[in-house]
Amino acid sequence: MLTVKNLTHWYGKSGKPLYENVNLSFTADKVYTIVGASGSGKTTFLAFIAGLDKPQAGEIFLDGENIEKIGATNYRKHKVAIVFQQYNLLMYMSALDNVLTALAVTASQHKNDKQYVLDALKGVGIEEADAKKNVQQLSGGQQQRVAIIRAMLVDANIVIADEPTGNLDDENSAMIVKLFQDLAHKHHKTVIIVTHDTKIAQKGDVQIKLAERQFMVS
Amino acid sequence: MNYLKRSRLYLVHKKGQSLLMLLIMSAILVFVLSGIIIQNAAITATNNVTKSAGTTISVAANRDKMFSQMRSSTAKTKTLTTPTVANTKIKKAGSLSTVAYYNITNTASVNASSFDAVSTTTGTSSMPSGGPGGGGTTASSGDITINGVSSTAHTTAFTSNQAKLVSGRNITASDANTKNVVIEKELATDNSVKVGDTITVKTTASSAKKIKLKVVGIYKAKTSSTSMPGNDPSNTIYTSYTLPASISGTVGKSSSVTYTLENSAKEKATTKQIKQIIANSSFSVSSDDASYQQLLQPMKNVQAFAKKIVWLVAIAGTIILGLIIILSVRNRQREIGVLVSLGESKLHIIGQLFAELFTILIGAMVVALLLGSFVGNKVGNQLLAQQQTTSVSNTGSTSGAPTGTPGGGNMPAGKTGGTLRGGMTNQATTSAANKKALKTLNTSITPSSVIKLGGMGLVIIALAVCLAAVSILRLRPKDILIGE
Ligand SMILES: Nc1ncnc2c1ncn2[C@@H]1O[C@H](COP(=O)(O)OP(=O)(O)OP(=O)(O)O)[C@@H](O)[C@H]1O
Ligand SMILES: [Mg+2]
Repeated sequence: MLTVKNLTHWYGKSGKPLYENVNLSFTADKVYTIVGASGSGKTTFLAFIAGLDKPQAGEIFLDGENIEKIGATNYRKHKVAIVFQQYNLLMYMSALDNVLTALAVTASQHKNDKQYVLDALKGVGIEEADAKKNVQQLSGGQQQRVAIIRAMLVDANIVIADEPTGNLDDENSAMIVKLFQDLAHKHHKTVIIVTHDTKIAQKGDVQIKLAERQFMVS
Repeated sequence: MNYLKRSRLYLVHKKGQSLLMLLIMSAILVFVLSGIIIQNAAITATNNVTKSAGTTISVAANRDKMFSQMRSSTAKTKTLTTPTVANTKIKKAGSLSTVAYYNITNTASVNASSFDAVSTTTGTSSMPSGGPGGGGTTASSGDITINGVSSTAHTTAFTSNQAKLVSGRNITASDANTKNVVIEKELATDNSVKVGDTITVKTTASSAKKIKLKVVGIYKAKTSSTSMPGNDPSNTIYTSYTLPASISGTVGKSSSVTYTLENSAKEKATTKQIKQIIANSSFSVSSDDASYQQLLQPMKNVQAFAKKIVWLVAIAGTIILGLIIILSVRNRQREIGVLVSLGESKLHIIGQLFAELFTILIGAMVVALLLGSFVGNKVGNQLLAQQQTTSVSNTGSTSGAPTGTPGGGNMPAGKTGGTLRGGMTNQATTSAANKKALKTLNTSITPSSVIKLGGMGLVIIALAVCLAAVSILRLRPKDILIGE
């Protein structure tokens, strides 16, 4: 379980806080969706729970352990996987190598297991021939699916996505959302998705709205 | 080791960029290598000069002392007595490890007996001789100068091509205690003497003794302006150094010797050692390394210049590469962000960058080694040519006019004061020979220059990566999330 305690953050010296005393918790097997106006601080929040930045005040615990104690690099390596809106992949290699790189970096037991990766990619409709092409030759939707497979295969139990469907059409978006749901429901991960799209937001098991400096859970 | 695989994939994917980097790195390394090659060649050349410059140490009568002794002499007829030193001492000094070889010189004056001396147009045969090796052991002089040496081949006259053997053989150390001689061609032709013939001379003492000499060789002297009235060079007979000593009654002793050094760098120490061995205040022991110094300077200049090239290129190369890498890091911010979000440590990301550059460095080394020897050769010889021109014009203006006497050839005027001209020096010729040898620098690539190049290359890319690392380390992970 990922717990956020009394999180307060502001940018600059005397600027007013983006939000104050936020208390939230995220559990496995669930898809959380976060919506909010542009500039409300969604990406900023994700950066904290992804171990990419530190809030001005407050703490984040993973299964009772402060993530600062785990260490940011270590936390990113073993506990959390991130899917961005775009530019998720290393552009100078194939989809297969992208996933293998992630497995190697995170010291997964499946590192170097090509067949394991190829099978997983096939599961999201990326055939071996495409998997071995340079990723720049894949469509945006295909690239996003590779990123999700990468998040799925690494050992991390928390998957964080910042507008993962922002660049995709409805059909592709639906497919991506389905995959995230599978990550939570079949692979028992905690999935946290930030989105602008209310249709996607509605598909979350827990829907969070960030407005007026408050996180409202519904 | 995943970063090694990534670096390989990156280089292969960005072929054009990799090739461009290869060219830039090759250009830098070619310059560095040229500098290293020239530097090495100059160092080798300097060592060769040091070994073969023919710095000499002359042991000869201390002239001032000789004259003051003559003045204070109570004898009625004041004679100039040349001091002598035991041959055993000379040999002992000659066996010093720093001495390449030595040449003993003794002279005596005799009169022709079975033949006629060559007479010159300007003088008569009765005029006193003061020519080469002027320090005879007797004051009275004859028309023939007997120049006793250890080896004719090592005398200035022969090494400077003032004299050249035309038939028979040279006088060598094995001629010691014989009456074998080498005579001048003019003298031989005038008197119909051939190699193998015997000639007779008379001593100049009041009770003249006849000495039979065996001609083993004939040399030709260049009759030049150096000949003095009454002393036609044709009247010089070369023998072993033992013969003049026995004529003047100083058997087992000699009046002057010149040591030629193995290594010019050992000049001071050897001079001291020889002084100690000779241990005779009537002798002055003086060294002459003018030709060594003259050869050394251009070498040192080339060395210093090459060093500057290496450093300048290395510094410029580091800056250029560093800037290129910093630029590329900015372009690769996304890629770095992906890796950071996967939990890759920044150290490994820097490691990947280093591995990429290292691969390019290897390729550039190959290119540089192919081109470097060619460029190094051209630049090195250009430099040396320039250096030698300046050095020649320098010595021309500073060391003064040549003294015009054989044996004085290349010596700075100040140094000749303490020694008799009889002290033979090989100065003029060895330096000429060396100059020829140094006309080209050996600019081949040695394993050590390859290692040095690799080392410099590594330092350059390491520093460049360090510059880039600063910008990677400053990259805040969160900035990776937000972006265009
Ligand atoms: N590094 C920073 N320094 C100063 N202010 C920042 C920084 N990053 C973000 N902000 C500000 O904080 C606020 C929240 O930014 P954030 O990117 O979290 O919003 P967001 O909810 O993700 O918006 P969007 O929906 O447009 O992506 C914005 O007003 C932004 O200008
Ligand atoms: Mg955002």
